[in-house]
This record gives sequence, C-alpha cells and structure tokens, in this order.
Amino acid sequence: MYIGDLSAWKTAGLTRLYEANRDFPITRRSPPRMTRRQFARAVTGTAVLGGAPGAGLFEPGIAKERESFTPVPIPGGTPVLNGAYHFFAPNLIDPIDAEPITITNMNGFVGLAYISRMVTQTNTQTGETLRLPFLNSDMRFMQGVFRGADGELHRGSFALV
Amino acid sequence: MDVYQLRAGDQTLTQIHDLNPTTFPPVGLFWTVQLREDSVEVRLEKGSASLQAWDVPILDYGNIPNALFTGDNPPPIPGSVSFKMVWSGVNQRVKIRNTDPIFGGFAGEFIRNTAQMEWTATVGDSTFVSDPLATSSSIFAEIGHERNGCFFEEDDDKRR
Repeated sequence: MYIGDLSAWKTAGLTRLYEANRDFPITRRSPPRMTRRQFARAVTGTAVLGGAPGAGLFEPGIAKERESFTPVPIPGGTPVLNGAYHFFAPNLIDPIDAEPITITNMNGFVGLAYISRMVTQTNTQTGETLRLPFLNSDMRFMQGVFRGADGELHRGSFALV
Repeated sequence: MDVYQLRAGDQTLTQIHDLNPTTFPPVGLFWTVQLREDSVEVRLEKGSASLQAWDVPILDYGNIPNALFTGDNPPPIPGSVSFKMVWSGVNQRVKIRNTDPIFGGFAGEFIRNTAQMEWTATVGDSTFVSDPLATSSSIFAEIGHERNGCFFEEDDDKRR
C-alpha cells in the first residue's frame, strides 16, 4: 500500500473504524511471562502450530477466527490515522524508528520495504494491456516466536501485503 | 500492492488497484497474513533476506481509502497474488530501544539497506505481471531482529 497520502484521506469513516477497532479484543495487559522451557520449545519449532503444516495458510486477515493460534496485533497505530489501525509506517508517515511489526508479544525477524516499479495489466477477455506503476508498496515479513491470543507461545511466519 | 494510472490530462496519478489480504473492515491484525515457515529467509550478518509466497488470497479494493474507510465503493474483487522480494546490502546498522508511548515498546538490531520485488496477480478478468525484480527499487528498506510486548518487558526486567 502507498500510505504517504493518508493524512489527506481522513474521512468520517475513520471514526467508524476507530470504534470498530476499539471493540477488538486486544490484550493490552501484560500476558503471563514464559518459562525458559516454553521459550525453548517455541524457538525450536516444537510448539503446536494449530494444525497440520500448511493448514490455514493464506487465510485473509481476520476473516477466519483461529483463537488457538491468532497473533495479537500491536496495541497502537499510526497517529496519522488516530491510532485506529494497528500498524506504523516507519520513515514514510511515522518516525524512522517506529515499530515495524504488526504483531505484539513477538521475538523475531522483521523486514520492511516500500517498493516501486512497473506492472503490466492484461484483460484476459479482450487481451488489452496497460502499463502501470506500482508505487511504494509496503511489504513486510515477520518471523519468530509470538504469544498468541490463547496465551501460548507459537512460532510463525507472516507477511504484510 | 498499490497500482496507479497516470491521467493523460493533468498528469496526475490515480490509484486504481489496492490489493491486500484483509476482509473489510481492517480491524485487528492489519493486512497481515500467515505464510509457510520457509517463505522467509534471513541472513542478518550479511544484510540479506528474502520473502516469497504464491497464490496469497487478496481483495482488490481499488484504492486505499476504500480499503480503510468504505469497503464497498467499489465492492472488492477477490484474487490472488504471488511475490518474491529480496533485501540486500548494508547501508547502516542501528540498534533501537524505543520506549515512546506511541511509536515504541520494542528493541532490536536493524540493518537499513535496499529491497526489490517482482510479483504477479490475478483479479477478476485481469492478470498482473510486474517487471523483473532487478528493475524495482525501494525508497526505504530495513531488516532486523526485534522483541516487543512481553519480550520487551522481560528485557526491561533484566535491565533492572
């Protein structure tokens, strides 16, 4: 996503979304601390992933509730959107040292980039093609150990697309 | 993915595609989707990382305001996206311990570098094929290892 123009897009709808997010059950209190054994099991990938390998991958966002595994979003969000959405965009609309991860209670790797170039769109019905720019697409990965909504430690890999 | 069209008249860019994996409204985890464990490779000591995924279900909201605020103007079109990204180089190594009440609550070691991406997508009657990875560029890129939430608090406890 190119969110550089977000400040110009604040609308009445933002208030509605803020209310919706306010009701989302984000755990703001500190979760119980883990034992060394719990941490070691999670790091080595022996924690249960909530299903068979590959099961449930690529499920759109929150559309599918999987409480046993669901990561918890970071509690805050960019002030540009009044904190209503649980992400920051370091060095784009937020300070360069803002939180790049969208999952809280996480210990792991992160990568972030704002990417641009050209894409060719083809209409498969007519064969018409268009050359179009994609601009500052925000792409991220997160990989490591996290405490899920179930309070347990899990290991997982995620992307912000 | 954010795709724009250059209007011939006033030469302004208008967003015409916004592909993200979240069903409207985007409450909770923001535009974040689980991947296979082997989708990510990181070699922090070399400043390199890669991210690959295939056929990730997405919705095309047309533009970001619709994805964030409206959700149905126009109605989102389901599709899928595949992408390959690479991070490389070391422009700067930074250690961050951010306790800011808004932007912070985490600590980590980061490498600021560059990234490139190639991607394909199918949305409705349209297919998208980006130019090769090597032609793309980033205005900002970083990789790192960090801890937040309870892991950051535990880190704090050790410091006391």
